[in-house]
Amino acid sequence: MSKGNKLKNSQMLIAILPIVALIVLFIVFCTVVQMNEYRLDMYLKIVFNEAVVLAVVATGAIFIYTLGTFDISLGASTLFAATLGVTVYNKTESLVLMILVLFLAGIVCSLFNSILASIFNIPAFVTTVAMMSVLSAIASQIITTDGGALGGISIPSSVVEPYTGVGFKILLLGLYFGICYFIFQHTKTGRRMKYIGGNPLCAGLTGIKANKYTIIAFVMAGIGVGLGAFLTLTYTPSVTTQTASSIGMNIFIAIVFGGMPISGGPRSKIYAALVGGFSYMLLNDILEILIDSSAAYGITQVISAVFFLAVVYVTSMNYRSQMLPR
Amino acid sequence: MKNRFKKVLSLALAGVMSVSMLAGCGKGDSADGSASKSGKDSVKIGVLVADVSGEEAIGFRNYYEKYIQENYDVTFDYTDALESAEDEKSAIEKFASKGYDAIISLSSSDRAQQIETCEEYGVYYAIASGVLDEEQYETYKGYEHFVGQIGPSNETEFEAGKAMGEHFKSQGVSKVAIYGAFIPNPMHVYRAAGVIAGLGDTYGGTDDMNGMIGQIFGDQAIDLSKIEGDVEVVAYLQGYGDTTTDELNAAIQKAPDAFLSVGMATTFFAQTLSQNDIQFADIDSFTEMNLDSMTNGTLTYLAGKYSSSIGPVFALVMNAVNGNVIRDNDGNAVSLSQGYLVATDVDSFNQYYVTDNGDTPIYDKESLDSIIGDSVTFENIKTLVESK
Repeated sequence: MSKGNKLKNSQMLIAILPIVALIVLFIVFCTVVQMNEYRLDMYLKIVFNEAVVLAVVATGAIFIYTLGTFDISLGASTLFAATLGVTVYNKTESLVLMILVLFLAGIVCSLFNSILASIFNIPAFVTTVAMMSVLSAIASQIITTDGGALGGISIPSSVVEPYTGVGFKILLLGLYFGICYFIFQHTKTGRRMKYIGGNPLCAGLTGIKANKYTIIAFVMAGIGVGLGAFLTLTYTPSVTTQTASSIGMNIFIAIVFGGMPISGGPRSKIYAALVGGFSYMLLNDILEILIDSSAAYGITQVISAVFFLAVVYVTSMNYRSQMLPR
Repeated sequence: MKNRFKKVLSLALAGVMSVSMLAGCGKGDSADGSASKSGKDSVKIGVLVADVSGEEAIGFRNYYEKYIQENYDVTFDYTDALESAEDEKSAIEKFASKGYDAIISLSSSDRAQQIETCEEYGVYYAIASGVLDEEQYETYKGYEHFVGQIGPSNETEFEAGKAMGEHFKSQGVSKVAIYGAFIPNPMHVYRAAGVIAGLGDTYGGTDDMNGMIGQIFGDQAIDLSKIEGDVEVVAYLQGYGDTTTDELNAAIQKAPDAFLSVGMATTFFAQTLSQNDIQFADIDSFTEMNLDSMTNGTLTYLAGKYSSSIGPVFALVMNAVNGNVIRDNDGNAVSLSQGYLVATDVDSFNQYYVTDNGDTPIYDKESLDSIIGDSVTFENIKTLVESK
């Protein structure tokens, strides 16, 4: 076998590993659930509800990560959007207006980040950390002021009742993923984003305006945030200061679990968030069922971290070849 | 290439083996059925918790797991620390998917959602810490699976704080520091407002409970500039984080006559306050750690619950699971308020601590047996709760 073919096979093997891992985790999960006498149909629904918000927000975030940058404020943006959405619903009792506000809030938060990053050239790490604090603080202020003794704000569960079904959520996820996939894989925009992420200098020299694509990437992530906020409310129609608090960091983990390099560029994969998000949640639930946290507090985090490092090690083998990506 | 493939394969195999090994030594019901609590007919109760490390939380857990579980055919399964409404709902669904009979809640991110989720899955539900506000109780009191709530009401929390403030005012303190624990946690907001009122001070120009708590929720903290009155509040801190030690030291520098806490002071500050010879007060539980602080003379006032105060809620749940869903005289879910017990010295502390410790809790098997059974009524429960 020629050296080129060997490399190709190796890259293909590593590329499909995240999907294989998802399948293996799914089988192990089903086995563990059955062995521990849980109802599989119910537990699958639980995992889906846990993973769908992460998968949606992370899929939007792929556009940002592809550019070689990142946004740690997406969890706070989701909280902020959900808070504004609930507030608007409680003032107007209009579901349409609430949904509009959810998306608008997500996009505006993201746009603000992108403007700071692309126009004022402030590193995304700095702007998004700052935005995370600001958005969380504003949301907390609204929640504690309006929520008072209840500790949170909410809309009547009957408002989102028609949208709580798994089928509807799969449809939304599929629709959003389909649009993202098309833009990422089949348009000039997607290709240029990968180019910018791989080599911003070359991209600039060929006339590609990085600022324009940064803004597009953040807008796509903003749409994901809006959709994520809506899906959060369909699961629990209430918002507390801790709502979506883990999403920011979980996006990072999900993308790595999905086999995408954090450095972005041409090896970025739009499906990484979907695969990684579900893999991560399956792993979490497997460990939660198997390990009594009271007996070994924090052990699930340690095992997750070991898995995380193992995945990074395996996927990084692909980047250490001496040939350019193809 | 070969080496790389081997590495990949070995990592994958190691992962699968790890999970398989864990599957073998998992926490599921033991295959040999040696532990009676894993028996087929054992009642299974899931407990929702937000705090897993506080003195009160540990005391409650020990009572259920070390006393109740030994004396009744019941299994308690605790969640990890639940941080959000989503976590709570997911935890209930997981309990329901394993056929749990009931949920007891010590977590309060979204109680309404908890009740609705339990109703959806047909699992009995009771609240053991804090209570629903009036509007929520009105909404859910008729739900089939909502068994009830027994614990300090918001007014009781306010009164507990107020009694603490009044105690120190009567001791002649002129300046104090206040620890607001985890404001805007509603329970802590009510207690802190009570402390200020008890000191004879006003907050934002009022000493009315609702007027004060509305402002504190808005401020998300105690704003010292809003406090007026004879007793000066020289320092205020809340939460626990990187800056807490500095804030505590700054408070100590102002030489307060007392450090008034609305929760968890022993866990966080007992040692420092003891070293600086500053007396403190807390609203917590009658636990060993608090006894140590009271014995060394630093903790001079404790409004506390005893660990077995969550016994009657267990009785309500057991009755419901066994087919006797107890309703109040109007046919609604049970709602009873429990007060706090106050200790100001080792003797009064021991009166509650010793009698509620180990094998002889205040709500022991004998007293619980009197409110568990097919013929038990609301009046039986009410009488017992009010007598303790």
